[in-house]
Amino acid sequence: MARNGVAPAPGTPWRLVTVVGLLLILAAAVVGRLVLIQVVDQERGAAFLREQGAMRAVRSAEIPAYRGMVTDRRGEPLAISTPVITLWADPLRLRDSNRLGVLADALGQSEAELQQRLDLYSDKRFMYLARHQTPQLARRVLALKVAGVGGKREYRRFYPAGEVASQVIGLTNVDGKGIAGLEKAYEDVLHGRVGKKRYIKDLHGDAIRDVGVVREAKPGQPVALTIDLRLQYLQHRELQRAMVETGAEAGAAVTLDAWTGEILAMTNHPVFNPNSRAAFDYSATRNRVVTDAFEPGSTVKPLTLVAALETGAFTLDSIIDTSPGRIRVGRKVLPDPLNYGAISVSRVIEKSSQVGVTKMAQAIGHEPVLSVYRRFGLGEPSSIGFPGERSGSLPNRERWSEIEKVTLAFGYGLTATPLQLAQAYAIFANQGKRVPLTLVKRSAGEQVPSERVISKEIANQVLTVLHRVTGSEGTAKKARVPGFSVGGKTGTVHKVGPGGYLHDQYLALFVGVAPMDNPRYVTAVVIDRPKGDGYGGGAAAAPVYSRITDGVLRLRNQRPEVAAEMPAQLAGFGGGQ
Amino acid sequence: MISLRWVTPLLVAAVLASCLAIIHSTHASRAYYADLQRLEGTHWYLQEDYSRLMLERSTLASPHRIAKLARDELVMRTPDLATLHTIVEGVR
Repeated sequence: MARNGVAPAPGTPWRLVTVVGLLLILAAAVVGRLVLIQVVDQERGAAFLREQGAMRAVRSAEIPAYRGMVTDRRGEPLAISTPVITLWADPLRLRDSNRLGVLADALGQSEAELQQRLDLYSDKRFMYLARHQTPQLARRVLALKVAGVGGKREYRRFYPAGEVASQVIGLTNVDGKGIAGLEKAYEDVLHGRVGKKRYIKDLHGDAIRDVGVVREAKPGQPVALTIDLRLQYLQHRELQRAMVETGAEAGAAVTLDAWTGEILAMTNHPVFNPNSRAAFDYSATRNRVVTDAFEPGSTVKPLTLVAALETGAFTLDSIIDTSPGRIRVGRKVLPDPLNYGAISVSRVIEKSSQVGVTKMAQAIGHEPVLSVYRRFGLGEPSSIGFPGERSGSLPNRERWSEIEKVTLAFGYGLTATPLQLAQAYAIFANQGKRVPLTLVKRSAGEQVPSERVISKEIANQVLTVLHRVTGSEGTAKKARVPGFSVGGKTGTVHKVGPGGYLHDQYLALFVGVAPMDNPRYVTAVVIDRPKGDGYGGGAAAAPVYSRITDGVLRLRNQRPEVAAEMPAQLAGFGGGQ
Repeated sequence: MISLRWVTPLLVAAVLASCLAIIHSTHASRAYYADLQRLEGTHWYLQEDYSRLMLERSTLASPHRIAKLARDELVMRTPDLATLHTIVEGVR
């Protein structure tokens, strides 16, 4: 019927046709425009409109990811991330609020102070009110529902062991990035990857629903160290005590398990409190055990002894005449404290005789000594990859003067860190095999790689001599540990100042191995600038070694040589029947 | 050809059913989202508690504190060699 109505029959009103035609064209234009905007991809088309829509309603938010925990070898936490809330404000909205006083009260700030900061940021849309607040406090502030105040979830790093392990663990900055110590070295493992999600907000900015996760949050991985917190604490305590007793300004100590290459404890003085940034001395963050290289002095004489024994020119019983208690090399005269006369090679090391070592060095030359130093890891960084680690240095000369050859043999002209000294002695304890050091626990069942650098026989001979050093004739009687026999070597070296060796400033060193019947634990102690008469390695450093080792052997369940035995049944632990 | 008569009502019914299904699943999705938010909140609170408790434990169990308590309150001391006994397993 309609068809009949619009059919161009004679007499049909032409106006109707025109109007209907125009209306159809208009409708087509609207539909065409819709298609252009919504379907066809063109400028200011579909994609543009979707984006504009999203800009008004879709927001993205961070999904916080926590940083991995650092634990000691027994799982005790050394660094934990705890959730905190950072309070922020939109100055533009907060500016006109009449509740500033209430807000300032809740924040524990004065209203004037808050107003001042608001003025400072008046042209911005974001400012921090208070960072890293405890959740309780932050929730109290947020509960006030002051317009323009928001909370953001973050993590804060806590160090339960405080100053005891401060230099080893290191620090993170306020944004949770490792800036020192292990926190820096293991940043890649520890740091969590912050995720990102998109959500749709309503007029007030509250989330209505998540649109999707753009990037999954990935929490950081935990790192378990080889450090034993109990030993760390013990070492720390003894080092602090030594600082008081000797009046020294700085010190360092490190204990290794020679069989596995694990660092069981590593402490330094001065210390800092990693949980408080208020009073912060950057130099105290230095882990001196690995960052401070110094001339090792007499502590490397056992390495010279290795070189001498390896050439075959000397045995422990070879006699060296040290009379008259001094020797001239080039233009220098090297003295012994007194004339030891004709003594065995073993006794030369026991007494740390300069004359004896000089004669040995002159007989074998500097090449064998350098070779031993290299094999023992001096002059190269250890395998722990600690930030700021020094590799020390070995001399590399075209021509060697007589005095240089000799001083090399007793530890001058090269530098080493306390860790390198401990590593060198660990080779003796490990029967001549060198094991790469580690500060991070090896996975269970992982093979410990080892490399033989000297023969077992020579290692044992040196151990015998090291034990004699702590004997009645040796220089380190104070290193003895009740119930155990130990071995080690003292060192007393002049500190180097701007104008050469300082006359009255010393480093007191001791490096020791214990227990002698089953050598395993190596501890190196450095006391920097001890005061008074007891400045030597035997007086200042050996007692610290003794006390540390006493604790190490007890905590590592080593059996004293002389203690009475008691059957397990009698002790009430036995059998299980 | 008869069945053609039913096509339209069937399609209408199907459209209605799918509309209701959309309403249902949208509602479910909202409910799940609310759950998710709540669980994320719980997760956060639990983590807060966990790390706080860990810190408390390690503060209470710090070697420094234990040593002090043992020495001062329990009057304990490290045994000297004379009083030290080694417990040996398997000895009768």
